[in-house]
Amino acid sequence: MRKTLILALAAIFTSFSLTTHAAWQDTLDDAKGQTVYFNAWGGADNINDYIQWAAKRIKEEYDVTLKHVKLTDTSDAVSRVLAEKAANKHNKGSVDLIWINGENFRAMKDNDLLFGPFSHDLPNYANYVDENARQSLTQDFGTLVEGMESPWGMAQIVFLYDTATLHNPPKSMQALLEYAKANPGRITYPEPPQYLGVTFLKQALYETSLDKEALSQPENTVDFDVITAPLWKYLDELHQVAWRSGQNFPSSAEEMMRLLDDQEIDIAINFDVSGASVQIDQGNLPDTVRTYVFDKGTIGNTHFLAIPYNSGVTSGAQVVANFFLSPEAQIYKQTPTVWGDLSVLSYDKLSKDDQKRFDNLPRGIATLTIEELGSTLPEPHSSWVEALEKEWRKRYAQ
Amino acid sequence: MPLKHTKWITVFIALFMVLPIFMGLVGTILPAFQFFPPLGEYTFSLDPWRNMLSQGEFYASLKLTLISGIGGPLLSLWLALSLLAWGYQRPFFKKIEALLSPILAIPHAAIAIGLLFLLSPSGWLTRLFSPWLTGFERPPNWITVQDPYSLSLIFALVIKEMPYLLFVMMAAMKSIQGRETLQACQALGYGRLTLWRKVLIPQLYPIIRLPIFIVVAFSLTVVDLALVIGPNTPSTLAVTLYRWFNDPDLSMRLMGSSGAVFLMLVIVLTLAGWEIMHRLLSHITRYERSNGRRCGFSDNLLGSGVVLGLLTLFSAFSALLLLPLWSVAKRWRFPDALPSKWTWDNIERAAPLLMELTSNTLIIAIFATLIASVFSLVMLEIKRLSAIKSAVPSEHHVFDWLIYVPILLPQIGFLFGLHVLLIYFDLNGSLCAIIALHLMYVLPYVYLTLKGPYLAYNEQYLQQANRLNYHPWRHYMTIKLAMLRPALFTAFAMGFSVSIAQYLPTLIAGEGRHSTLTTEAVALAASGDRKKVGSMALLQALFPVIVFWFAQVIPARWTKWRLTIQCFFSKDKKCSA
Repeated sequence: MRKTLILALAAIFTSFSLTTHAAWQDTLDDAKGQTVYFNAWGGADNINDYIQWAAKRIKEEYDVTLKHVKLTDTSDAVSRVLAEKAANKHNKGSVDLIWINGENFRAMKDNDLLFGPFSHDLPNYANYVDENARQSLTQDFGTLVEGMESPWGMAQIVFLYDTATLHNPPKSMQALLEYAKANPGRITYPEPPQYLGVTFLKQALYETSLDKEALSQPENTVDFDVITAPLWKYLDELHQVAWRSGQNFPSSAEEMMRLLDDQEIDIAINFDVSGASVQIDQGNLPDTVRTYVFDKGTIGNTHFLAIPYNSGVTSGAQVVANFFLSPEAQIYKQTPTVWGDLSVLSYDKLSKDDQKRFDNLPRGIATLTIEELGSTLPEPHSSWVEALEKEWRKRYAQ
Repeated sequence: MPLKHTKWITVFIALFMVLPIFMGLVGTILPAFQFFPPLGEYTFSLDPWRNMLSQGEFYASLKLTLISGIGGPLLSLWLALSLLAWGYQRPFFKKIEALLSPILAIPHAAIAIGLLFLLSPSGWLTRLFSPWLTGFERPPNWITVQDPYSLSLIFALVIKEMPYLLFVMMAAMKSIQGRETLQACQALGYGRLTLWRKVLIPQLYPIIRLPIFIVVAFSLTVVDLALVIGPNTPSTLAVTLYRWFNDPDLSMRLMGSSGAVFLMLVIVLTLAGWEIMHRLLSHITRYERSNGRRCGFSDNLLGSGVVLGLLTLFSAFSALLLLPLWSVAKRWRFPDALPSKWTWDNIERAAPLLMELTSNTLIIAIFATLIASVFSLVMLEIKRLSAIKSAVPSEHHVFDWLIYVPILLPQIGFLFGLHVLLIYFDLNGSLCAIIALHLMYVLPYVYLTLKGPYLAYNEQYLQQANRLNYHPWRHYMTIKLAMLRPALFTAFAMGFSVSIAQYLPTLIAGEGRHSTLTTEAVALAASGDRKKVGSMALLQALFPVIVFWFAQVIPARWTKWRLTIQCFFSKDKKCSA
């Protein structure tokens, strides 16, 4: 009896994997000769080079042509899809694959601008991704992913400082404020709604708020004013002693690194855990710069690839997304001299050889190990992002 | 030009211009009243306006927009007039004239980044005097750029707009017989600045009114410049709208659209106010201008303008010279006045990409400008013919205001509507679409540069030639156009550099599939990397500078070269003598 059950189960499993295998083979056949326009932020040379490498490999392996459309802002691509929808162009759209996460993903998902669900059908996703490893794999900034985008890499808030001028960097929000009071004009953060700036707000909210439970609830079901009151008090104090007296804020992580190099500020915030090493290598930061995280952890997230609803080459786009999830692509991506972006694959699911390859990856001089990065803090419910942004602009931007 | 069917051509060209403007406007106005099918909005309402008016940020940004959008052009005009009055017809001024072209050619974002590096607390000026004089081991916590009063933005606007106005004014001087008037007034004993103020500027102003309006509209709507060097928290209205349009919350676009409509109103009202103020001012000063005094107190206004103007030009050149230094810098840290480590890596890394970008950029710019030149010639000929026919002066020909509409409208919002139009006609994403959209922005500048010389041309030459031998087309080319060659070349150079600098139109029409030097440079500027922007900006400026240089060199030597080549091939014995 038990034997037949096992046999039956095995039969179901093999037939299941056979059908998915056959379905994937169809996708591969369909994708041959297609050209995929990959819309991705183009502000960093090393990332652009990585995409060029991938394009070459994908052409060799799958006969799919990958073209990188360099964006200054992901919303440019969202805007283009929206314009196409306005003109009733429901197929053969200009965007085939888009590097996305957070609010842009939520906007596209909520307005039915995405193709999918597709990520669970990608062989490399099924083989190597462990959804339970990180909350951000299934909840992008608090929005349920539900297979509408395929993970590409992981990021976590890190802080950069110059060991030549700063010996004991502040390792909590409170310590940061005290440091700013002792050294006026040397601390700042990116201007919300820039995502790094919003993440800084979330980190500050998490550390200052008395009721941490409430943060996982939708913002309109709790008393926003009461819960965020300590945050605004904190920021009021910080801005008085902040860089340019809180009148200006940097616009991006890149600008913060430039200000750190110019010695205008003492601490830069970054989402790219190996950003410091890459910039030192390019001569944009002194080689005395190091990275650290707060004692109680920092907020982390995952970035993804999504396919717009009107792409004419969804097969090709899936092949590309699948390639980016392969151990080969993820190992190369995590190489510090290439990009250094953290892998989204589950270490335990990898083959022994691939595990060894990950182990042997060199580390940049200013890059932390996974252990040093420590635990990531949970994201507040996605509704907090917009509420925090609005309130911040109301208080500090008029 | 022996044009036939001028009516049909007029209708065709007018339609060609009206259709995109109309679509752009519809694409902005409908969402401003909540009608936006792609987001499932099918009813009209005033909600976007109510939302916008309830934003505190809206009022704060509006104030900054008015300050910088009116202050910038006013200052530019004042300084440009002062410099012109001071230097016109003087030999050394010719050199300054030649130096203007790089400033006209270099894209706004690059100028802004260069200025930022010059003026910021950790910038080059502070470095020059630190620490030996100032004692600063580290940059001071000052606000010298992105100040909340938008002074640094105004400064950047003046740097970019003053050269343009100066350029236009010098071209316009030819059509009001500047030199003759100057000599006559000087013979009558008027001081140099006084005669400018009393005699020449009042004549000059009507001719340069439209360029001034373009400058005002540009200053009110500029995004890239204000993003880099303008105030943030709050920013100018154009930047705030840009943020609303790019907000991941797509319903913010509705509010952004009503903001774009509002910004159009602001432009119209500002221009109307400007014109009224000008009339008022010329009415008030009429008595003073005709009182016969040979000098006056307000001459000092022009005198001080000269000093400020020269200072502005000087800082523009410093910014322009500093930026390329970054492209060969490896380490350049505060307080070093020069890089401490040098490298070719930055340029080497950029080199392979540059070939592709350069060919794209040149193809688009050359075609757009050539088409714009032909269009301008046809339109000017029609305008000239209609001026002959009608008794009323043709000041108000339909083309004169129609072609300025695209550059007077804020690009944000407007271009979204246009994009939808392109997709409807399935023209999106092609080089043709980019060229067509560039044409909209290039045409006004070419038309404007060509207008004065073309209409001032003495038709007698052509008539005489045709009386002797009736070949209207050939004579049009070989006589009229040949005589207008300097103006044609200048107009081409102007249009060329405008095309090179276009960012949003290239991005939207090309859907990001066709990169140019500018789209690439702005993408890199997004990361604020001065090294890459340095090498990009250098290359971007290079082509327009070459073309402007050609525009000055070729017309003067054309005939000589043509004859040399002709002789070479014909082996005529007369030539060898």
